[in-house]
Amino acid sequence: MKFPRILPCLLALVVLTTAVPASAFERVGDRKILVFAGRQEVPTIDPSIKYDWSIRMMQQALYDGLVKYVGNPPEIQPWLAERWETSADAKTWTFHLVKNARFHNGDPVTAEAVRWSFARTLKLNQGPAWMLSDFLKEDGIKVVNEHTIQFTLAQPYAAFLSFVPWWYVMNPKQVLANEQGGDLGQKWLTDNEAGSGPFKIKRWQQGVLYEIEAVDSYWKGWPSKDHVGGVILKLVRESAAQRAALLRGEADIVEGLTADDYDVVAKTPGIVVPNYPGMTTFGLKMNTQKAPTNDANLRKAVAYAFDYDSLLKIYNGNAVLQTSVLPQAMRGHIAVPGFPKQDLARAKEFLAKSAYASGNVELEYVYVQGLEEERKMGLVLIDNLGKLNIKVKMVPLTWPNMVARAAKVETSPDLLAVFATPVSSDPDAVAYWYHKNSWGKYYGSSFYTNPDVWGLIERARTLAKWDERAPLYADIQKRIVADMPEVFGMLANRRWGMRDHVKGFVFSPVRLTGEVDLYPLAIVTK
Amino acid sequence: MLFGLLCLTFAISHLVPGDPARLAAGPDASEAMVQTVRARYGLDRPLGVQFVRYLQGLAAGDLGESLRSRNTVRADLARYFPNTFELVTLALLLAVVVGIPLGMLSAVYKDTWIDHWSRVVSVSGVALPAFWLGLMLQLLIALHLGWLPLGGRLGITATPPEPITHLLLVDALLRGQWSTFADAVRHAVLPVVTLCFPALASIMLVNRAEMLETLQQDYIKTARAQGFSSFRVVTRYALRNAMIPTLSMIGLRYGWMLGGTILVETVFDWPGIGLYAVNAAVSSDFQPIMGVTLLVGLNFMLANVVVDLAYGWLDPRIRRPSAT
Repeated sequence: MKFPRILPCLLALVVLTTAVPASAFERVGDRKILVFAGRQEVPTIDPSIKYDWSIRMMQQALYDGLVKYVGNPPEIQPWLAERWETSADAKTWTFHLVKNARFHNGDPVTAEAVRWSFARTLKLNQGPAWMLSDFLKEDGIKVVNEHTIQFTLAQPYAAFLSFVPWWYVMNPKQVLANEQGGDLGQKWLTDNEAGSGPFKIKRWQQGVLYEIEAVDSYWKGWPSKDHVGGVILKLVRESAAQRAALLRGEADIVEGLTADDYDVVAKTPGIVVPNYPGMTTFGLKMNTQKAPTNDANLRKAVAYAFDYDSLLKIYNGNAVLQTSVLPQAMRGHIAVPGFPKQDLARAKEFLAKSAYASGNVELEYVYVQGLEEERKMGLVLIDNLGKLNIKVKMVPLTWPNMVARAAKVETSPDLLAVFATPVSSDPDAVAYWYHKNSWGKYYGSSFYTNPDVWGLIERARTLAKWDERAPLYADIQKRIVADMPEVFGMLANRRWGMRDHVKGFVFSPVRLTGEVDLYPLAIVTK
Repeated sequence: MLFGLLCLTFAISHLVPGDPARLAAGPDASEAMVQTVRARYGLDRPLGVQFVRYLQGLAAGDLGESLRSRNTVRADLARYFPNTFELVTLALLLAVVVGIPLGMLSAVYKDTWIDHWSRVVSVSGVALPAFWLGLMLQLLIALHLGWLPLGGRLGITATPPEPITHLLLVDALLRGQWSTFADAVRHAVLPVVTLCFPALASIMLVNRAEMLETLQQDYIKTARAQGFSSFRVVTRYALRNAMIPTLSMIGLRYGWMLGGTILVETVFDWPGIGLYAVNAAVSSDFQPIMGVTLLVGLNFMLANVVVDLAYGWLDPRIRRPSAT
């Protein structure tokens, strides 16, 4: 019987010859609708309640802030505020609003709406509230006139402006009209919006897709005549399915492919892969308060034994190694002299100085279950530290369990694989991870202790002049590296798979992983 | 039984490490913000008090609120369960419609090519992981051949019908939206086939084994000797008796499929309770977990009641009171 033997060959031939050519974006009437296949849901779009990359991508599309992050390196540009000034002590910030901004229902965007929105976020004390709540109190927000708002901080805070882009302005009238039981509109704003942004909601099918449509009369206008007529964020949870959706033309943009998949789709005609170094740092946080990693020499031995180049290999070269505590794209970054790189001889020197001179110790490496890159890093650790006679026990944990372990000195592991993204371009956003107040958070799992460094961090954030702040941040970076509370790793590149008819993409490293600014996007067909 | 299930789920979901309030508040949240969330959802109360409050709410039909979705669990389940129900019901129907005849044929034509091929199908169904099978079907049928969509319940620009039963296929039919119905069917084919395959295999295997045993019984030989057609003997006498263990398997499978759709739902982006439960579990969002457990448990019990009733229908001896 010959037929069954040639059956697989015939099948393969059919598959290869009948591959469906990629189609394009969706059209609804004369509107070109961009389809974004994302893995993460948008459980709420309330700007006062929560943010992550998918939530913020939609918030940014539906709402406006006083200012906005644009470009690489990220710059703060005027948005609802056409200009602003600050007092010499960085305590008083005054913003002058544009006069033509309108909410989607036609109401003007006023200083009172700004005051109410900031006060609401402070009152609910969720989502972005932590960014400013130590400095800004409700009574510190003053409406000067219809188009001028003034913030008087409880104490000077130089980084204030760098967090303002994430505080979106809501229409109080619309929100209060939909208030339920004094909830300040929380229930309603979960899947409704009261913004003035370039898009408004069209469909909101929780767990399936979220569709927004362009506001043609957007008060700020559109950067391109070919701007997208709308965006559908469709949930595609499997990276293999995302890849398939992109290749088949069912999606115009995808995020979250594996490193290998990005390389494959980048070679496919009609697909481009924007590839930029981000600000998400990857490090192996070491518990500095508990043996054996409370021994600084052991920590240094680990840091010098680690093969940093393997991090680049894991990401197929799409990453850059850290040269300091702060990411390279961040203001104030310096390449710290003597920053650790693999040097087995130095590693052995440090080990000899430690209480574990002969090694003979086991370190627990905790990473996120299912995250293949972190698992590979664990294997590299086993290999590298084996040369120092240090054993590594790999422990995969789910994210909640990992966060729970990182919350206490007693349970925080010897080595914790941590990706952390700063939410602002100000160095305070990262420096503060090493302050005592960050203990208990996953990025504070080193329980780093150095009162001198804490003092410098506290002082640097209160100074108004950058010239005075910059040397402090340089000092902070050097001191933290000298204490080696972690193996400072790399900054993985941010990548998206994108059909080549999508134009106008603007990368900004301060955006969260996967997040895209939808406003400048256009669809241009040949 | 359900109360026991609730106690167990509550205990397990609270014993595992993880701070739901911290996860809900976000990674950057200050301790004060975490406390705000904790107080709002009553997570600052002792466990016993939390459980009693949960039971009180349950008695009033309140399944609590999800920290992740910010919706009531009841509303979330109403949104996601019908999708899972449709998926599982269609997959099980397909498994029954194909698996029982296949098992029957396999037994009747034992050791022939029909039997061999049927066993290949059944062994494959048991051995192939649903996740892998789903991805392969997606790759071949959807990506390369383009015959069916990759995932989801409807085309990206399609509008679902106004809900009547909240079952998409049924609502599309009731509303007379034929194109929506056809679109929904096209989207359902791959997930249904993927989910159905393991169930089909086990139904077929059990049915084959029972049929083989039944076909050796004296009453079957008697029926044949009396000149009844082979078709009648097999379908009317043998199959009916062989169906009782098969029915048990169907009941078990239904419960298992309801609770085990997560992989298929993930691959095909099917917005069902499997995905909902897993998202809740990874966020330590325990009230949705309790809600899903309760719902699946309830459905499993109902399925068993239906199976018990079907036993009586298949075998009149079961519904008769035993002689004393």
